[in-house]
Amino acid sequence: MLYIIFYFQVHQPFRISKYKIFDIKDLVVYFDEELNKYIFNKVSERCYLPANNLFKELIEASDGRFKISFSITGTFIEQAKKYRPDVYESFLDLVKTGGVELLNETYYHSLSSIFDLNEFLEQVKEHEELIKREFGFIPTVFRNTELIYFDKLSDILLSLPQIKTILIEGADKILKGESPLYPRISYNHAHLLLLKHYKLSDDIAFRFSDKAWDQYPLTAEKYVSWVKNLTLIEREGKNLYLNLFMDYETFGEHQWKESGIFEFIKRVIELLLKEKDIVFLLPSEVNYTLNYKPKTISVPEPTSWADIERDLSAWLSNSLQWNAMKTCYELLKKAKEKERKDLIPILKKLTTSDHFYYMCIKYFQDGDVHKYFSPYSSPEEVYRYYMNILSDIEEKLEE
Amino acid sequence: MKVLMLTWEYPPFIVGGLGVACHGLFKALAEKGIKIYMILPTQEKVFFEIFSSWEADYPTAKKWDKKHFEPVPLKFYEFHYLEPKGAYLSPQLVSIIKKWEPPKFKTKILYEIPTEVLERLNFLLSQENSLISKVRTYTENVIEISKNLDFNLIHAHDWLTYTAGLFLKKFYRIPLVTHIHATEFDRALGFGHPIIHEIEYLGLNFSDRVIAVSKYTSNIIKEHYKVSGEKIKVVYNAFLPPLEKPQKFKKFREPVILFLGRLTIQKGPGIFLEFAKKIINTYGKKVRFLIAGAGEMERHLMLEAASLGMGTQIMFTGFLTRQEVESALSMSDIVVMPSPSEPFGLVALEAMSFGCALIVSKQSGVSEIIENAYKVDFWDVEKMVNIVIDLLENPDKLKESQKKAQEEVQKFRWSDRAEEVIGIYRELVFNKACFI
Repeated sequence: MLYIIFYFQVHQPFRISKYKIFDIKDLVVYFDEELNKYIFNKVSERCYLPANNLFKELIEASDGRFKISFSITGTFIEQAKKYRPDVYESFLDLVKTGGVELLNETYYHSLSSIFDLNEFLEQVKEHEELIKREFGFIPTVFRNTELIYFDKLSDILLSLPQIKTILIEGADKILKGESPLYPRISYNHAHLLLLKHYKLSDDIAFRFSDKAWDQYPLTAEKYVSWVKNLTLIEREGKNLYLNLFMDYETFGEHQWKESGIFEFIKRVIELLLKEKDIVFLLPSEVNYTLNYKPKTISVPEPTSWADIERDLSAWLSNSLQWNAMKTCYELLKKAKEKERKDLIPILKKLTTSDHFYYMCIKYFQDGDVHKYFSPYSSPEEVYRYYMNILSDIEEKLEE
Repeated sequence: MKVLMLTWEYPPFIVGGLGVACHGLFKALAEKGIKIYMILPTQEKVFFEIFSSWEADYPTAKKWDKKHFEPVPLKFYEFHYLEPKGAYLSPQLVSIIKKWEPPKFKTKILYEIPTEVLERLNFLLSQENSLISKVRTYTENVIEISKNLDFNLIHAHDWLTYTAGLFLKKFYRIPLVTHIHATEFDRALGFGHPIIHEIEYLGLNFSDRVIAVSKYTSNIIKEHYKVSGEKIKVVYNAFLPPLEKPQKFKKFREPVILFLGRLTIQKGPGIFLEFAKKIINTYGKKVRFLIAGAGEMERHLMLEAASLGMGTQIMFTGFLTRQEVESALSMSDIVVMPSPSEPFGLVALEAMSFGCALIVSKQSGVSEIIENAYKVDFWDVEKMVNIVIDLLENPDKLKESQKKAQEEVQKFRWSDRAEEVIGIYRELVFNKACFI
């Protein structure tokens, strides 16, 4: 049997405002309301609303045989409630169909698992609370920011006993030639790990409308034939798990409506539903369908789904990123010690990984991706604004 | 007396000190009755009349439109030219050179420009290089615009305008003053672009007088360009007091030390960073460092500063508007200007006027005239650190130093400098010092 697990990331950061050094002590507007609102509205129209409608239709039309999972960040929900209550409602409706599983992650989509473990656990708990409160759902599956995973993360998550499964990147360097279709057990035997099939995921997420790609145009039939071919690797009857993980914005935002992405995904799902050896599954259901004991896997160094390197370099490869992040966590710690309830939520919003992503100066292909996603003109510019904001908060902490 | 001023910068279009110095000087000259026509590298063919102090602050462009002039505010113009395509010899300049005939006067020009020099200049400008082809367009435009103007003398500021000045001198047979605000040796810290060196060489040697902004610069051009000492006059820059009296304000609890200038090797921001590192490592108390300005070294400096992991202790401002420059000075206690080669260094005077204690490199023109500043060799980071720690440890000494600097700067007035410049004009125009 081949099981297909869809997981979509739903996130929006609070982008910082163009905060000049001269604004220190005079201005307390740290986040660019207008920009955040504009982007949220744009993505709502292009992606969230049409994609939610499509997946809702597919779930309902399949009598619950089609299923998907989402990880929705706290910052996204805050923005949705503030800027687009209709989008928020639309997610509630989608979850009500029963064909949706919600995952647990850090509320602020941060790299706290690297910098501050206490803060990490705090943000994970905040997120769990949020999902319970908003959707009445208790998550049992965890995914860390940008699929960052390393052995120690599994140890840390032991303090959250409800977490049984973790989603990770099926990076070549950890699989060493083996297939991502078989789930793994964490090195400490505590968690089941589901590995992203990056080839088939990125065919949709990154390459779908790339005219330079030798497989362009990608038809639903072609894609489904690739999926069906996967079953050929297994000869002992072991169940296979195809993990298709991607940003939700793939639908309509990264791949525009005009590229035919919506028609494509609809057709793919309809075709797959006709196959009797292929079944859609939620991440938490993997545990119950396994007909063998998975191998263990050790991941000593952090891996992620970002860039070609699939490591932390998208957020932590230069000293600007490092100094900014380090300073932010230091101030957050100080704010907690001083119980500054006014500053803690602001600093937490500043832990969001996107801020550091914009400060990335790796070049070549990935540099382009970073530039595409960044609303600022250069990594230096965003670093300046970010540090100016931290300086202002630092001054306030002294009060 | 009517003077044709050729310059590449003028407020609000300022890259470095050139525009600021021109503004101060032109304003003072206009106040003393000199009538100025100024030509800038504007996209449209316009010139600017500066006949009064007010017009120096707000110059209006005048456009040649057959019969009437139409005043248009300067800011409405696209400042720099579009990039011309390819390398070519300017046909306009070629025809000027060809048409030129030796005049039948008895008087001879002392520093006569041979036709070969103009041919050479035209050849130099034919290169396919973005900046140099802009200079070619400027030269062509200046020649065309000048046909409608009546003036007694040409005053060209820095190499970008020297070619235009030399062509006009040959064409109209009137005196040319070349003003040197910075040499290519300063900008490149050693040998720079060969074409720029050659244009500087020709401009300085074939003009009738050279104004250098300091003895330091005068020595450089004497040594490297073999300019005859007799025709060089040193006229220091001065200080134009802002309309409002500078106000200090505090953004940070701790003392603030400022670097202000383009982030290029000439200004020594790397030395400042070295100095900041030493203070952080040796001085127990917190000090805030501001690196203000933009330039090609920005990324390099930021990465290095951030790698110290000192959080927000070393901050970068990026490009600053004029108003922001004043804010940066207002919030600073000490300014360090560690330029390895600084023809003048207007920042120093501005820092003094904002009541900042000042450390300047000895390799700067400004250090020749100011008394209330600490003068240090640009490479002597150790000494800079000791001075600053001493000032920080003795607040009274710091206050005294700031007060004295603020007092002293008042005496560097543009009106005195304008007198010196007018003296040079008189010599050339009335005493005909440029003729034999």
